[in-house]
Amino acid sequence: MPEIFINGQAIEARDDQTVMEVAREHGHFIPYFCWHPQLSVVGNCRMCLVEVEGRGLDIACNMPVAKGMQVFTNSEEVQAHRKAILQFITLNHPVDCGICDKAGECVLQDYHYEYSGQRSLSHDEKVRSTKFYNLSNRILLDNERCILCLRCTRFTHEVSKSMALGVERRGDVSNIRPVEDRPLSEDPYSDNIIDICPVGALLSRQFLHKSRVWFLQPTPSVCPGCARGCTVQIWHRKPEWKLKALDQRQNENIARVTPLDNPAVNGPWICNKGRDLAQMFERVRADEPMLKGRPVTVPAALDEARRLIGAARHPVALVSNWGSNEELETFKDKLGEVFHCFVKQDWQRQPGERIEDDLLIRGDKNPNTTRARELFGHAEPDFKDGTDLVLVWGEGFDFARLPPRAGIIFLNSYLQPENGHADVFLPVSIQTERHGHYTNFEGTISAFEPCFEKKPGVLHAEDLIKALAAPARGHP
Amino acid sequence: MKHLVPEFEKLRERFPAGFESSLALPCLRRIQEDRGYVADSDIEELAVFLGVPQIQIEEVLSFYTQFRRKPIGRWHLQFCHNVSCSMNGAENVLAHVERRLGIKPGQTTPDGRYTLSTVECLGSCGTAPMMMVNDGYHENLTLAKLDELLQGLK
Amino acid sequence: MPGRQLIMTFPVTATSHALPEYRARGGYGALAKALGQMKPQDVVKEITASGLQGRGGAAFAVGRKWQVVQYDDGQPHYLIANADEGEPGTFKDRWILENNPHMLLESMLIASYALNVRNCFVYIRGEFDLPYRRLAEAVEEAYAAGLFGRNILGSDFSCDIVVYRGAGAYVAGEASGLISSLEGKKGYPRNRPPRLTVKGLYQRPTVVNNVESLSNIAWIINHGADAFKAVGTPKSPGTRLFSVSGHINRPGVYEVELGYPWMKFLDEDCGGIPHGRGIKCVVPGGVSSKVLTGADIANLKISHEELWDAGSTLGSGGMIVIAEGTCMVALLQVLMRFYHHESCGQCTPCRHGTGWLHRILDRIVAGDGRADDIERLYYISKFNDGTTICGLGDAAGYACSGILDKFRDEFEYCIEHKRSKFGGNLECLRSS
Repeated sequence: MPEIFINGQAIEARDDQTVMEVAREHGHFIPYFCWHPQLSVVGNCRMCLVEVEGRGLDIACNMPVAKGMQVFTNSEEVQAHRKAILQFITLNHPVDCGICDKAGECVLQDYHYEYSGQRSLSHDEKVRSTKFYNLSNRILLDNERCILCLRCTRFTHEVSKSMALGVERRGDVSNIRPVEDRPLSEDPYSDNIIDICPVGALLSRQFLHKSRVWFLQPTPSVCPGCARGCTVQIWHRKPEWKLKALDQRQNENIARVTPLDNPAVNGPWICNKGRDLAQMFERVRADEPMLKGRPVTVPAALDEARRLIGAARHPVALVSNWGSNEELETFKDKLGEVFHCFVKQDWQRQPGERIEDDLLIRGDKNPNTTRARELFGHAEPDFKDGTDLVLVWGEGFDFARLPPRAGIIFLNSYLQPENGHADVFLPVSIQTERHGHYTNFEGTISAFEPCFEKKPGVLHAEDLIKALAAPARGHP
Repeated sequence: MKHLVPEFEKLRERFPAGFESSLALPCLRRIQEDRGYVADSDIEELAVFLGVPQIQIEEVLSFYTQFRRKPIGRWHLQFCHNVSCSMNGAENVLAHVERRLGIKPGQTTPDGRYTLSTVECLGSCGTAPMMMVNDGYHENLTLAKLDELLQGLK
Repeated sequence: MPGRQLIMTFPVTATSHALPEYRARGGYGALAKALGQMKPQDVVKEITASGLQGRGGAAFAVGRKWQVVQYDDGQPHYLIANADEGEPGTFKDRWILENNPHMLLESMLIASYALNVRNCFVYIRGEFDLPYRRLAEAVEEAYAAGLFGRNILGSDFSCDIVVYRGAGAYVAGEASGLISSLEGKKGYPRNRPPRLTVKGLYQRPTVVNNVESLSNIAWIINHGADAFKAVGTPKSPGTRLFSVSGHINRPGVYEVELGYPWMKFLDEDCGGIPHGRGIKCVVPGGVSSKVLTGADIANLKISHEELWDAGSTLGSGGMIVIAEGTCMVALLQVLMRFYHHESCGQCTPCRHGTGWLHRILDRIVAGDGRADDIERLYYISKFNDGTTICGLGDAAGYACSGILDKFRDEFEYCIEHKRSKFGGNLECLRSS
């Protein structure tokens, strides 16, 4: 345990640590572009230069601790060099923050503000390079904004292992380029490079020019795309920036999804499916209860559902593995004795989707199979003779498999043909409209928070379950 | 590239085990000698043969000045224009060749005979000015010597 | 001859590079001596005692580099001869490769024996054609004679060699860039730590020595460290090969005993400046070393210590003589174009700084200089010093600030008058 000194503070460091790691642990911030805790050290941006007494300047990210070393992270020399590094970085950078999606969360912007503030010292033309380079069907590359920190290339070599990116040519005409005939499009983790790009060089096509990031706020959530249950941030319009005149749908839309760093589950990464939650959640919604396809009020639908339950002699429930822990537990508590319960797989692997890998992606494409099975067992849905009522919770079950003469109570969020075939149809809220927890395949529990208000005719499943279990007429 | 594989296998034997990646440069050099340039199909085949990522081969091809991915003229004239050559008249000899061939550095004559390039120091400073014609050095160049040389390059 | 000779000891003929003639000159005697009479540690001791300094540029003690390698650490070790001679003005290793390749090979065998190296490499720049062929022939001769391969000269020592050709990248001459290149990748230099002698080629302990540094090994083993130290000066033992070019009557490669008077060397050995011109300045050891004016070198001896005292270095031994009447602005423009062209592009200061230097010089030469350009050139040079992975950015800065320090007035003139004081001339003209 060597003792080192950072800005005069004595710190017990571990032998295998770098000065960068020790400084971060103890609240001494050292700026950096290329360094990333999950990637190898390349030490090329030179932004983390610090001064070591008797040794001069060197980069903190590649500096092993040594007993007694005196490190200064903010000396005059360090400040002067940081300022110069920023001069070099912006020499050929277009500084087009006004039209850059990264503005507002750009490390270069922040550092320029914090450590330089100086205008360019150059009188010369900038080196021009390619803009809107087609990196994949998801990502555009602006080579003029790129500062060649090589986080993206390292990501594809060290994390996603697609080996899809490299550097073409050399010097100030070096460019990040994808491997020529095996595009980045095949890398299901590709969009992480957009997040780890410290500048606006890597751009999400989905998000391109959609919103300034300062109009958005992140809500913590859990990706329901597989049993990994990666923690994510769902970005949506801030209430104070709600659009009144323009496209108001933007107020209730997911602007983008980014990972929520979580060492216990997904680290700082998610797969591209998690980025595309909008495609899943923004399908056309069902927002009216129905009896045999005829719209009715919520109380009327509940009454009918309760009547069917009361009359049934052999009712079966197909429980959703997209239900939250709370919803599943409520179901077990309130209706577990009433129904013969099976866990239903709401979602199957889509054509072309990666089945499973050793990074994040799991074969089970549902978020809460673990808790559902804990409560309701592993048996596959099975309708014994005499099943006279089936409660189907969630999508994904072929109604043709239901016993022909049984009544159907259907809880679903989306507008689907089956809705009209049910005796009672009840629309339920989706994950982005409620609180809850999922238990992932390893038993780790993660929470999701609501981003948007649900519609009045839509019920939270938890309330609905309680209402169905209520002996008398009651409103959820 | 396929017909060069036996040669590459022999080359591999000269290296210690586990040095497959190292073969990238010598194999690319051999492919280029053979074909005149490195074709896209060569890149894929070599990456598979060596078991290295294809992007590594692509990076190497663009990093080093001697590799090319397009055919060039039969005679590649590369003039050094670094310090010692410039101090001994490199600009003059280059200008002379530009006039004679009617092309600028980076260009190939329409008949495909000559490609002209400028290069940085080739370690021939004591015999400046100099140029490379394909693989060979031609040193202590004078205008007369150049004219004679060009006569011989058909 | 400028003092005693250790390497260029024979007249070059059509066959003097071949094995029989090398043997006739006593070749491979040192190898036999090392294998027969010395333990590997004794060889390392002898080289350390000789004080031999690296001949590639940094003049780091060869023995100290070798001592880092733990003979018996259970991992493979590698030795690489750096023959990626690319520093402008430098062509002295080429002489060894073309004319005395066996001296290098014998020395590499001795070094491999000392460092427990089973596989060694020569990394030779891709453009060198004749040097490559001569070296490759020498390797074949040596294999045929049982000097490489298994149980060399009947000993337990086995060693193989590969001659590896670069493909055009100055930065691959930097030891770690060379290793990246030898691994079949782009020639990106690597951060230290780890040192290459700890984790080098394929993460194994690797010694990279310059061709000339290595070539001295055979001589030192033959004659002993004391004999070596008796040549040269106490702080600069031995000789150095200098490749002399530029404005000089007899350019070429010379072996100079260190401590030899500089002007005597230029005037007598190299025949002086053409047309009786005076010396404006000299690039002492490759363009990355700071220039010295004629006045600076008037009383200097050629040695590491005297050059360091004068604020420069013997560097790579690439001596470029620049006559009076030469435009230093145009000369610096050529140099900055070179560094710009060769920057690998990893580190921020060098990637952008070298191009910035180049563009400013282009502009000044074109008559569009600005009053603050000189200050800017200094700024870029300063912030490339010690801020990058390898020394390329530093070298560009040294070359730039070195010339500005000595010839600032020419730059001011060119910026103010929008034309060169010397007509942009780089050639040595007859006095008018």
